[in-house]
Amino acid sequence: MMTESMMPSHSPLTDGPFAQWRRWTDGDGLHIDVRGLAPPGPIVAIIELIESIEISTPVIVHHERDPTMLYPELSELGWTAARIDGEPGEVRLRLERSP
Amino acid sequence: MTGVAGTFLGGATSRLLPASIPFRYFGAAVAFHVAAWVALIQGADAMPRFAGGLGWPLAALHLTTLGVLAMSAIGASLQLLPVATRQPVAAARWPAAIWWIYTPGVAVAAAGMGTGIIALLAAGGGAIVVALIVYAIVLARNLIGAKGMPAVVAHGWAAFASLVVVLATAASLVGTYVGAPGLARGPALALHIPVAAYGFMGMLALGLSYILVPMFALSPAPADRWALASLALAVAALLLAAAAAFGVATQPLRIAAIAAGSAAVVVHLRLMTAALATGLRRELGRSFRLVRIAWACLIASLPVALAVALDVPFDGTTALFGLVVIGGWLLTFLLGILQRIVPFLASMHAVRGARGEKRRPPTPSSLTAERPLAVHFACHLAALALLAFAIVGDSAAAARAGALVGTAGAVAFAAFFAIALRRMAGPASAAPAA
Repeated sequence: MMTESMMPSHSPLTDGPFAQWRRWTDGDGLHIDVRGLAPPGPIVAIIELIESIEISTPVIVHHERDPTMLYPELSELGWTAARIDGEPGEVRLRLERSP
Repeated sequence: MTGVAGTFLGGATSRLLPASIPFRYFGAAVAFHVAAWVALIQGADAMPRFAGGLGWPLAALHLTTLGVLAMSAIGASLQLLPVATRQPVAAARWPAAIWWIYTPGVAVAAAGMGTGIIALLAAGGGAIVVALIVYAIVLARNLIGAKGMPAVVAHGWAAFASLVVVLATAASLVGTYVGAPGLARGPALALHIPVAAYGFMGMLALGLSYILVPMFALSPAPADRWALASLALAVAALLLAAAAAFGVATQPLRIAAIAAGSAAVVVHLRLMTAALATGLRRELGRSFRLVRIAWACLIASLPVALAVALDVPFDGTTALFGLVVIGGWLLTFLLGILQRIVPFLASMHAVRGARGEKRRPPTPSSLTAERPLAVHFACHLAALALLAFAIVGDSAAAARAGALVGTAGAVAFAAFFAIALRRMAGPASAAPAA
């Protein structure tokens, strides 16, 4: 019964649902743009990214709202968040591993 | 650049209610949880063959449904629905006002049910109806103009419509005791029970699951079309059950309702198990063992409902149905979710200390006291098993033992809650400089 569309066929850790979600690298770190994703998509995309990187690169998040429910997850994983300047209407965060 | 604490609450204030709002609802639910089990100790003799009427089993039932389930559902919906609807609750004073009317109302009404003092039942019932009407208005205002998550919003509307029916039938049932009935007691009860359990509380539980389960499992939100299909089947089931309540083709309509409800449950649970299977977080611990047991009880409630519909010749069918639906499904599900959501929300809110200073938030795991939860887990399941045995064997002694064990579990859960609050308010490291 309707299993194909209900069960993703990939492994989330290696080929996760958001693995290719608008990511790029810039001078200030790894960027991810989660605007347009329905909750909890942004949290999943961000956690998926930070769990996949081994070097201590900052992650810059481009969001359309303050992701309040992300912070307990970040804190659990040993990361901190700080708000930085972004475009009008954008919430931009800089995530870093806690020292 | 703003530090971590500033980020936490900077824009969150637009959607997050103050911590005192959800935690006062959860705190009251935790207290009523203990009270419900204590009331059941008092009513243990009548519990195995309980099928309605004033007394301590009725008080225990409503301390659970109104005091624990609806109380938590109101607190959780006020906190979480704005995430789905992308618009804040209009003003914090209304959720606070609802609590101040609703909480004493539940206590007084339960005392009236237990003691048989009609004046208490009428006064408490009146307060509950007023509080839930205000809640329904707050809920509807938040759902109107919702901008996201159509499946969650649609479940919210189904819960709203169910709440209207529940309030009308509850007022009618209380009216029979004070000599001012609206509907006849039979149809009112036949409407009240399925619409309260599967409609109001069930639709909130299923709808909020589409936020909470993916959030805790770290998986994408389930496809809206399937969640809406599940909802459509559930609403059809509720409408069929409501039609059956008025005495026309009662048995065929109830069987059709159970069939539609079964299909709704199958679709919902497929979505939930898919979310758990594909999430980044595979090990969700004791809390989700309770959630899985609750889902099993949701499934089990359907054949028991069929037994009720078919008038199976067993005196304990009604009590068994209540135990499986309220204790097995809704209460077990809620307690599983609460033990995750309380530390999670506490971590979100703990970023500002009591004096408003900024600080690094504690982790949810550091706010979770595992030992009380382990005690609660064992006691809760043992209590449910003893109550099931009490009903099947018509044993008041087993019912009393189950209620005593349940009380111990509820006290352990209260300890977990108190420890989370104490740790939330306690000293934490200062936020790093931006």
